[in-house]
Amino acid sequence: MSLPRSDYDPRRVCLNPFPDVNLGKHRRTIGIYLAGALFALANWTFLDAAILSAHAHPPYEDPQIPPPVHVTFADWIPGLCSLAGMLVVNLIDKDRIRGEDSGFSGDSGAVWRARLFLFIGFALMAGGLAGSISLLVLKYVLKDYAEQYTYYGYANVSQNVALMLSAIVLWIAQSAQSEYDYNLTL
Amino acid sequence: MAAGLKTVILLSFVLAVGFLLIILSCALWANWLPLLVALTFVLAPLPNALFAHCGADDFSSYGETSAPVDLGRFLTAVVVVTGFALPIVLAHSEVIRPAACAMSIIGGALVYGTIQAYAAAFRQDDEYE
Repeated sequence: MSLPRSDYDPRRVCLNPFPDVNLGKHRRTIGIYLAGALFALANWTFLDAAILSAHAHPPYEDPQIPPPVHVTFADWIPGLCSLAGMLVVNLIDKDRIRGEDSGFSGDSGAVWRARLFLFIGFALMAGGLAGSISLLVLKYVLKDYAEQYTYYGYANVSQNVALMLSAIVLWIAQSAQSEYDYNLTL
Repeated sequence: MAAGLKTVILLSFVLAVGFLLIILSCALWANWLPLLVALTFVLAPLPNALFAHCGADDFSSYGETSAPVDLGRFLTAVVVVTGFALPIVLAHSEVIRPAACAMSIIGGALVYGTIQAYAAAFRQDDEYE
């Protein structure tokens, strides 16, 4: 089955909300650079929180009580989940997901498996994001810490958001122009 | 060739200033962690240089690139952002001074800009990009 082009597909209800950005032949290059930058930014945001936690000290005029909370291994888990998810999503051959119309992947079992792995990858990323938000709420917000310490939780959430954005940008950048319509209406 | 001897001298001068700034940012406060920035920016063009020859043979269509080239670009972006983020993170957690952070960032940007400008000026061109 080959899908009709989305411009005149009669089954479509909603119009395509994505703006038609045309960066020409450098679209792929720019997207990949942007994805790499987002990836590094995500990890450095979290590492900033971790290093800050390791060097944390109370303000000098206060009595020297130790900081009430540190970045522990539990804080690392959502980021590791997102990383694993991003790895899985990007390891998949994108021609496999499109199915029969790519010609050389006639085996429907391969398509099914590729989609299953894609689902696992996105589930890992979404799980990482959800885990970071729940960590922020349970470990930092509910305990009423000072803003200096809730920053650890916010850094964790922004790490996972940026990792997800990076994966999405990479995905869009790597799908060529002819597959653009299909991937956005997936 | 348009880029001549003056370009070489100017670029080497800028490179020396960049390294001077980075080393000064370390030596003034006797804290040698910002030296990692110099290492990062020197390593930054390496992935593109390694993977540039993997893709784009004569038969691939115009503008089409392959996965190794993509990986090289991704790694380049990661390393460049790391170079800028490392001093900021170190300054944020008060390991180095803010002045050392600014100096090492400017020095690193000069070093990286020099490398890029050199590659752009003296490219053996018959390939675009």
